[in-house]
Amino acid sequence: MAYSEKVIDHYENPRNVGSFDKNDPSIATGMVGAPACGDVMKLQLKIDENGIIEDAKFKTYGCGSAIASSSLVTEWVKGKSIDEASEIKNTAIAEELALPPVKIHCSILAEDAIKAAIEDYKAKN
Amino acid sequence: MNYFQLFGLEAEFTLDLAELSATYQALQKTVHPDRFAHSSAQQQLLAVQKSAEINDAFQTLKQPISRGEYLLKLRNTDLPAEQETLGDVGFLMEQMELREMLADIEHASDVDAELFAAQETIDVQSQHLWQQLEEKLLVADQANNLSAGELLRKLKFYLKLQVELDRIEDSLFD
Repeated sequence: MAYSEKVIDHYENPRNVGSFDKNDPSIATGMVGAPACGDVMKLQLKIDENGIIEDAKFKTYGCGSAIASSSLVTEWVKGKSIDEASEIKNTAIAEELALPPVKIHCSILAEDAIKAAIEDYKAKN
Repeated sequence: MNYFQLFGLEAEFTLDLAELSATYQALQKTVHPDRFAHSSAQQQLLAVQKSAEINDAFQTLKQPISRGEYLLKLRNTDLPAEQETLGDVGFLMEQMELREMLADIEHASDVDAELFAAQETIDVQSQHLWQQLEEKLLVADQANNLSAGELLRKLKFYLKLQVELDRIEDSLFD
């Protein structure tokens, strides 16, 4: 299966890889996993007092599409409010990366990671 | 006729793999094309279809994860779609750590010892889940069926860890 150029770009030069301290109250952590392929994704958002996402980092163990999906959302969420970020849909991720149907679940994983992180933030604050 | 019945088995999770394999061979013999060389086209077609069904049944029952899922399907348990995300944070944290452990192996000073330790960790943890699964599947009520479904979802991550570990081992000793 051929990966799109954008997937390859994110896979080879992933943006914002790494971790923040999950105990920091301004850090929201979203952990999700896809049983279908055993992929594990951690997305962390640094959120300021106005609810704006200042920074984002991710760590993903999975295929190229899963890594590209999470790398892409770290770029997309920066500067957005948590409400705006929660509106990011997997279909937009899949479209941007030109994911084939068998890899759609990778974009679902990335969308669910944002949601999980925001839930974590709301639970903390 | 369901797959268990096809193999003359009770619909139970625990089964004897050697016996399953022997039954598979015996069943396939009964529908072998040689036996139908002089039969009508329709009978030949039926034999081919039966052979495919026996094969599907064997593949499903042979692997414990697909066997468990099939058993739950027979019990009309609604399982989450494969694409549905798993959100058990504690479990996922552990998975992340296990993946980090595997990623560190190639940089270890004693690779053999690390490979061995990783295999042991995966075995012990997955064995624990398999054991819980067996217990849950013994009782066919809804609560137990649903927990069994959740355990099967988690076990798929261990399957992936094993694939990863095998890949690392291959790459190190190539």
